[in-house]
Amino acid sequence: MTRTLEIIGAWMLAILWVLPLLYAVWTAFHPSEYATNFSLFAPLTLQNFANAWDAAPFARYFLNTTMLVSLILVAQFLLCTPAAFAFARMNFPGRDIVFGIVLLQLMIMPDVLLVGNYRTMARLGLVDSILAIALPYLGSAFGIFLLRQVFRSVPQELDDAARLEGSSLLGRMWRVYVPLARPTYIAYGLVSVSYHWNNFLWPLVITNSVSTRPLTVGLAVFASTDQGIDWSIITASTLMTSAPLLVAFLLFQRQFVQSFMRAGIK
Amino acid sequence: MIKRRSLLAAGLALPAVARAQTVQKLSFYYPIAVGGPIPAIIEGYCKEFQAATGIEVTPVYAGNYGETLTKAVTAIKGGQGPQMAVLLAAEMHSLQDMDILVSLDEIGLDAAGKAWMEGFYPAFLANSHAEGKLWSVPFQRSTAVMYYNKAAFAEAGLDPEVFPKTWAQLQAAAAKLTKRDASGRVTRWGVKMAGDTGNAQWTFGALANQAGHVLMNQAGTEAYFNSPKAVEALSYWQGLATVHKASPDGVSNWPQLSPDFLEGNAAIIQHTTGNLTNVRTNAKFPFGVAGLPGRDGPRTVVGGGNLYFFKNATPAERMASLKFARFMSEPARAADWSIKTGYIATRPEAYETKALRDYVAGFPPADVARGFLPVAVGELSTFENQKIYAALTNNVQACLNGTKTAAAAMADTQAEADRILKPYKKA
Repeated sequence: MTRTLEIIGAWMLAILWVLPLLYAVWTAFHPSEYATNFSLFAPLTLQNFANAWDAAPFARYFLNTTMLVSLILVAQFLLCTPAAFAFARMNFPGRDIVFGIVLLQLMIMPDVLLVGNYRTMARLGLVDSILAIALPYLGSAFGIFLLRQVFRSVPQELDDAARLEGSSLLGRMWRVYVPLARPTYIAYGLVSVSYHWNNFLWPLVITNSVSTRPLTVGLAVFASTDQGIDWSIITASTLMTSAPLLVAFLLFQRQFVQSFMRAGIK
Repeated sequence: MIKRRSLLAAGLALPAVARAQTVQKLSFYYPIAVGGPIPAIIEGYCKEFQAATGIEVTPVYAGNYGETLTKAVTAIKGGQGPQMAVLLAAEMHSLQDMDILVSLDEIGLDAAGKAWMEGFYPAFLANSHAEGKLWSVPFQRSTAVMYYNKAAFAEAGLDPEVFPKTWAQLQAAAAKLTKRDASGRVTRWGVKMAGDTGNAQWTFGALANQAGHVLMNQAGTEAYFNSPKAVEALSYWQGLATVHKASPDGVSNWPQLSPDFLEGNAAIIQHTTGNLTNVRTNAKFPFGVAGLPGRDGPRTVVGGGNLYFFKNATPAERMASLKFARFMSEPARAADWSIKTGYIATRPEAYETKALRDYVAGFPPADVARGFLPVAVGELSTFENQKIYAALTNNVQACLNGTKTAAAAMADTQAEADRILKPYKKA
């Protein structure tokens, strides 16, 4: 009985969740007069996609976004791993205080730092560059915290064994800790990529030209508020820009779900 | 090093004329509020400006009005701001409060410059005056107009060529236009006006003007909501739904008005002239554009964005920016901008260009709004503009949703507005 209820509940949630997506697919493939009319035999069209593609240099924006999220992801892994390792397994004076300071970063909304960050980028001469979009996010407190928790759960015996074999500090980190934390890396990577794929305000403020603007900022071209919204073109461009993420998720669904279960991010 | 030194020498050797023109680069932020290839059009103008003056203007598209404001303010505070930006005309007092603007008077208007400023429609300058100075140049301007479905008018037994001019006439027409199916469900509303956040204050600004009421003082330090005329305006809005059953109960959303109109679900909508091209392209029925009715006769409100100049620019950059503003408002360009976007050309002389004359002759609805500029007022604009908008919007929505009477809503807005504006009241 409870099982039936659970299944019904799960289906209802799933349907609720997927409704906006279904609506997006429906409107994107039909002429705009069918945006709010449902008719099974409405003519199908790809014109919305063509219009959306022509309205902005999306190919360039795709490239920018891809470069941006890869840059952030790689840098975050490279920076968070040693930091987390130090907090998890090394003893040095003031460790807990420093860790506390790192965690403080989680409490601060990035939007509050808009002007401060802009000033820093202006001083570095980086305004209007992809690096400037990425820079404030490279040292991720969330990543450090997450990896530290995983590293702490690695059995001390494995570390000791590696040490007996003559493995160096970096060697142990690389050969013992990182492989064991793989699910966490995947889960964190997904969270990071989807966050930065969708990030809007900071990229809008710091970019000025087509060669740096990411997809989200490019999409805002369609928010033509003075004339009401053309749902067809909006949904077509949204599908287009979120497609790589959706496809990647569907392909690696099993791995993602498993690593989320193991990493404990829910 | 050698290279740099030789460059320096070359610079010194340049004729004096070239050196006097120190400004070579300007940047300006602009928002996009209508559909169409706006970035391409703006870039085209900037190229023409460069060809004419040698000054390179980099236009930076910055999202919608709110986002453009955020971006401009952040960049200015971060030390790399643009020299100018297109922002909402109604933000003048708030921008002044931030102390980032430079007035046109301070940049320096000569006799020709003063004559140029006088060449704009006065309604579009309504939100530019404060402290005896001019703070912005009209650029992408619009007014509220009514779009109506002529086929629906004919079907309801109304003359499609005559649009209501008074509130009473509109109420009667809207009631007739509302169509119900056998089960009593409404298949077409008579009239729809936007009451959602971000738009309620604009709709209400027009209605207050229709009742013959001005909502604020020119200095932007006082707002006047608690007046019988303002209450009357709000009651009229509410009454379209509650008394005449010609408009849906509750709050109608701006983005949904055009689709509703185009699909025949609403016979009349109150919208902006900026929507004209969209309606023209997509309407599958004959439609008309008309001025807003008023309690006694037509009245409307202006909207849209002006070009502002920022303090952080050097005197030479300010002069160059002003030159750019004048270049953009030249009749031929103002006409071109109007034809391509649907905004109203900001100067009467633009309507005397051949391009705009021909366009208007071929498409008379494009000329309707201009006729109503003499009865238009500026937008509601005060210090702490966004907070005042929020207070008004919340109360208007409460009234439309039936939780407050019009009188209570206006009294509450007044109390809130007085509290917000208290620091700005001069003793």
